[in-house]
Amino acid sequence: MPAVELKAIRKSFGDNAIVKGVDLAVNAGEFLVMVGPSGCGKTTLLRLVAGLEQADSGDIFFHGNKVNDVPPRDRDVGMVFQSYALYPHLSVRENLAFGVTLRKMPKAEVDQRVAEASRMLELDALLDRKPKALSGGQRQRVAIGRVLVRRPSLFLFDEPLSNLDTALRVQMRGELARLHQQLGVTMIYVTHDQVEAMTLATRVAVFNQGVLQQLGPPLELYHRPANTFVATFLGSPSMNLLPARREGAQLSGDGFTLRAPASLADGGEVQVGLRPEDLRLASSGPLSGTVVALERLGFDGFAFLKTAAGPVTARFENASVQVGDQVKVELLGEQVHVFSRDGAKALCHPEPKA
Amino acid sequence: MKACLALACVFAATAQADELTLWHAYRGGEEQALEQATKAFTAQTGHTVTLLAVPYDAFSAKLSSAIPHGAGPDVFIFAHERVRQFVRLDMLATSTGKLDPSVYLPAAIDALEVDGQSYGYPLSLKCLALYVNDALVTKAPDTTAEFLAMAPRLSAADRNQFALAYEAGDFYYHAPILLGFQAPLFDAQGKASFDSPGMTHSLQFVRGLQDKGFMPQESSSALVKSLFNDGQAAMVISGPWFAGEIAEGLRYSVHPLPVVSETQEPMHPFLGVEAAFVSARSTKAAAANALAEFLARGEGARLRVTVGRQIPAETAAYERPEVAQDTFIQSFHRAAANARPTPNTLEMARLWEPMKLTLRAVLQGTAAAEDGGAVAARRYRALNREAPPETSPVPWLLALGAAVVGFVLWQSRKKKEKAPDLKKAIVWVAPAAVGVLVLVLIPFVVGLSLSVFHHDAGHYTFVGSANFTDILTSKGYRVTEPLSFWFTLAVTVLWTAVNVFLHVAVGLALALALKSPLLKLRGLFRVLLIVPWAVPNYITALMWKGLFHRQFGAINGLLHLLGVEPVSWFTHFSTSFAANVCTNTWLGFPFMMVVALGALQAIPQDLYEAAEVDGASKWTQFTRITLPLLKPAMLPAVVLGTVWTFNMFNVIYLVSGGDPGGATDILVSEAFRWAFQRNEQYGFAAAYSVLIFVVLLGWSAITKRLGAEKTA
Ligand SMILES: Nc1ncnc2c1ncn2[C@@H]1O[C@H](COP(=O)(O)OP(=O)(O)O)[C@@H](O)[C@H]1O
Ligand SMILES: [Mg+2]
Repeated sequence: MPAVELKAIRKSFGDNAIVKGVDLAVNAGEFLVMVGPSGCGKTTLLRLVAGLEQADSGDIFFHGNKVNDVPPRDRDVGMVFQSYALYPHLSVRENLAFGVTLRKMPKAEVDQRVAEASRMLELDALLDRKPKALSGGQRQRVAIGRVLVRRPSLFLFDEPLSNLDTALRVQMRGELARLHQQLGVTMIYVTHDQVEAMTLATRVAVFNQGVLQQLGPPLELYHRPANTFVATFLGSPSMNLLPARREGAQLSGDGFTLRAPASLADGGEVQVGLRPEDLRLASSGPLSGTVVALERLGFDGFAFLKTAAGPVTARFENASVQVGDQVKVELLGEQVHVFSRDGAKALCHPEPKA
Repeated sequence: MKACLALACVFAATAQADELTLWHAYRGGEEQALEQATKAFTAQTGHTVTLLAVPYDAFSAKLSSAIPHGAGPDVFIFAHERVRQFVRLDMLATSTGKLDPSVYLPAAIDALEVDGQSYGYPLSLKCLALYVNDALVTKAPDTTAEFLAMAPRLSAADRNQFALAYEAGDFYYHAPILLGFQAPLFDAQGKASFDSPGMTHSLQFVRGLQDKGFMPQESSSALVKSLFNDGQAAMVISGPWFAGEIAEGLRYSVHPLPVVSETQEPMHPFLGVEAAFVSARSTKAAAANALAEFLARGEGARLRVTVGRQIPAETAAYERPEVAQDTFIQSFHRAAANARPTPNTLEMARLWEPMKLTLRAVLQGTAAAEDGGAVAARRYRALNREAPPETSPVPWLLALGAAVVGFVLWQSRKKKEKAPDLKKAIVWVAPAAVGVLVLVLIPFVVGLSLSVFHHDAGHYTFVGSANFTDILTSKGYRVTEPLSFWFTLAVTVLWTAVNVFLHVAVGLALALALKSPLLKLRGLFRVLLIVPWAVPNYITALMWKGLFHRQFGAINGLLHLLGVEPVSWFTHFSTSFAANVCTNTWLGFPFMMVVALGALQAIPQDLYEAAEVDGASKWTQFTRITLPLLKPAMLPAVVLGTVWTFNMFNVIYLVSGGDPGGATDILVSEAFRWAFQRNEQYGFAAAYSVLIFVVLLGWSAITKRLGAEKTA
């Protein structure tokens, strides 16, 4: 039985439909990451799960029990707010302990939990400060700690790492992953950062404009994106999409011709999806174009090209490339994704390379 | 030589036309009459007269500050009660001996005499008489027995119908009855006398009128006026001024007050005599005297009667045909025959408050009529405390000097910071410094100095700390009596605590309600709820006073509808205090509401969501989030509100007026009464104010610590 199940959830604010019919089941013990561009309704969906918003239609179940009318305080969820929502009049220690003191927990246990959480989040030195004396990252850690101390049966995170510096973010990602393993508790995690989604998730749910685009394990989404939105949203730099036609065994577009994948059914107009890491600048290849920009990551990097079919991003391993060079691009391992021309549907995916 | 000079003066006066100034407090018809009379005087003598109408409240103060400096008028018109004080301050020109008893009514002559010497010229009389509604009463009662016989027919308390209405709680109105029962105002030594059979009988008499429903309770001048005009009061005791208040078309007549049947003595109202006085500093004494006498007699008197509707003091005026046919004037003439001039002595001034206290106590039922005299006597002794022994100010001055020297030394020992631009700094600071000096520092120092003096009839004696010890030891009364500082302090603290608690509670509750998104028309409610704050507070206080009226108040009306016995709000401490608190809460909650509303809106909504998810109930959210987050904004408002309430004079003075017996007075209103209603004990009142200051200083130290704790 899923820990959380959403059935045909709809939510509008006034005339703006924000969540447009979402069905989603979160398995017990799962780390589900909801990812999508800013404004796509992730926070709203999370608040619906927490009970802070009421759905216009549809049902929410926790372990098979309908919770539509259960107030947030009785749902046994913990939430890390995007805005931190720390109690400004309480010290960090009191903020951390707020939830458990309400439940009349013995003091020794409260202290122990606070100590544990603050050690994990490196908050020991800050326990007696008020929130206004903390940096953004520190506040975010306190907000996470507040949920940790409470140990609810469902954790909800709303972009909890967005304000941390890179090093701390990497470290916190590790901590959260470890925490999930250690507690084995169900977590729903909202982010707009696909790296977090890929590294943390058991499964990823990709949203766009209030609609669930695809749900699955991170690598499956990466290798088998259901549509061009998922394909371009996951992976950095984004997948190249080029319009093409199937002509017999060939896929040809403006200025290029590729071998059509065998599994591709016969059809007319399509879009070809090529991940930048599968493309290399080379002396010869199916695509050619002019270098308009370079992103060097040391010796190698990504080159941004202008081709007859449209902009293309490709890797290069040759430090001598210059902006303005005429180059050719080769395709490694036949990694060709094909989508319908409107991008709504994937037609075929390559076998992932080993 | 002297005769020569006098002759020269007279010659000069007749030879040249003087310019005279005359100050008065008349309005309407009386002012018109005065204008015409002075014109007639100018036509006759050639002297011009400039009139200046001064507001009545400010008149006495203006006179006593202007005349000694030579800036006053040549002639002024004032009531006789002040004549002794004017004489003592050397403000009046010595008149030329006694007034002619064949020219003026004898009572008027008596009124203007101080130590065998007459001052000024009597113009008009004011005294109480009986107004009768001719439609209800065919023959005015000549005796109290007649009155009591007809009263049952004229009264129906359940229909608010009364035989008689007058301001029974005011000693001025009770005095004729008191004197009719042959109670002496003063004993053989000229001291106030209260405990007499006449006192008891007079109190029993009025209490009986009220108990039998012959007259309304808690009368005020507005109530008397409306009852008479609505035909709900058959008779009214009032003075000539009441004629102007009577509705057009109501047929009435005026009669002397009845004879008290038990004693066969007529009721003797107090007689007020208005007189034209010549200023001691007038440089045109002869012309000024001529003007004053002109106004008092002949054509001057005629104009004042016919145009100004005044009751003349000149006997000949009554013989004039137009006056002889004027029943109103003649009626008051007859009523005045029984009147006795209000004594112009200091002892008289000391009578008012004890008598008022007794009247209220007896009419409200908190004291029996037999005990009335004793109640007044006790209050009299308490108020007219003996002057503390005069002490030498030398040790005080030495101590003060030592303190100043010590302070200067201590200041000079402190390391001085170099002020680079001292001159510029002084220029910038000066305007504010002058303001603070004039408006705060000087009054403060004067008040402080005053508190070590005793004031008696214009003379100040240095008494050191005697005022303070008398206050703090409750000298002359028990600690538990309303006059005691400690009692009043306890009442003040209770008053402040209850009020501030209610202001915050009501303000916060309404702010929470107004914040609720469910409430429709929020903007409208917000405006309506601020209205009590926008109305001047004395108007609100008077409105609430009316609402709490025993017989005519809306609150008792509501209670009546609910089947509850009407409450005499101002006869018990608890109800009177509650009435004050209601009024002040009405006045005070909008401020707290506005502050709380602002503070509430500054609390981010997501804190409540976080708490909600954390498992907090609505109540827990209120106590653990709303309240602590409101505290920083509410604390200064509460401190401010505390000080305002602590010194909320208007509500106490206007709503309960300290009733019963001064029990609901707070420190400021007590200080006011000591200064202005109890024999001008300025020093004692100043000491009171200093103590109030000390209490508030202590309070501000406490709140400072509270504030510091918060930020720590
Ligand atoms: N309470 C609200 N009232 C009106 N519009 C809202 C409200 N909350 C969110 N929205 C709108 O809903 C959309 C989705 O918001 P949100 O769920 O916060 O997006 P995300 O978290 O994915 O960035 C946004 O366009 C936002 O303006
Ligand atoms: Mg969001």
